Amino acid sequence: MNVLISGGCKNGKSMYAQQIASELATCGPLYYIATMIPHDEEDRARIRRHLKEREGWGFETLEQGRNIAALIDKADVDLKGSFLLDSVTAVLENEMFPVALKNGHIEFLGEDEDAPERVRRDLVAFASAVKEAGGSVVFVSDGIYGDKGGYSSSTEHYRRALADADRALARVCDRVIEVTYRITEEWK
Amino acid sequence: MILVFGGAYQGKTDYALQEFGAETVCDISEAGEPDFSKDIVTGIEGFVLRCIEQGIEPAEYFASRQSKWKDSILIVTDVSQGVVPIDSKVRAAREANGRLMIYLAKEADQVHRVFCGIGKRIK
Repeated sequence: MNVLISGGCKNGKSMYAQQIASELATCGPLYYIATMIPHDEEDRARIRRHLKEREGWGFETLEQGRNIAALIDKADVDLKGSFLLDSVTAVLENEMFPVALKNGHIEFLGEDEDAPERVRRDLVAFASAVKEAGGSVVFVSDGIYGDKGGYSSSTEHYRRALADADRALARVCDRVIEVTYRITEEWK
Repeated sequence: MILVFGGAYQGKTDYALQEFGAETVCDISEAGEPDFSKDIVTGIEGFVLRCIEQGIEPAEYFASRQSKWKDSILIVTDVSQGVVPIDSKVRAAREANGRLMIYLAKEADQVHRVFCGIGKRIK
């Protein structure tokens, strides 16, 4: 069973996704795919907060901020498990806008124009492989499409790429759920 | 008339083409006026911005041409969320877009919302 969860920022998507993922962990381990690649103290503080929120849920953390399809062939990953990938937004950001740390400063390496298609393909491949093995994935994404737009070209590329990834995932997921202030709407 | 709305890049036109067996599309997101002889008129939010630039109220534009679009599929991007735009013209267009959508939703036989490529009839 694969599930896509989206909705606005701070609407309760992550907590709801944790519940669904743990309910789906019936015949394998419960995994949390950590997608954030920390670059500074603010990032590290956020990760500590997230770790605390997941305490006691029994999640095993897999650090995979990019190249999600690599999880398919990892020896210590059981595809019969239940995976929570939070978030599609972060994976796409990591791949589209790579950065390097130089003398303690974050340096942007430019937009990777091949990333949107690669990320979409990786996510769908991962969803399909897990489903075939009898496991499940809960994908968390972000609804960033309801405002006026008109951002810089790289931000519009990013919005379009995330929407394309969401739509590709919606096609292969069994359930598609929108979360609005902890109220859930089933789209599929 | 069928009104289809949803956020940017959600697959609204693809949904309308499939769901309603429509074939011809007039896209006015970047330029031009609606051609209601086509099955679908999409990108209406872009037309709204150009109306505002010319001092035209989009809801009135549509109201005075009702007989032309009564059998059309009209697609509008929902731009009502997020931060209020700082540019006064864009701000006015966003508000006019809302007024237009309220009018069209009232007049529509069906209203559908599209999310992640999936449509749902809400009226």
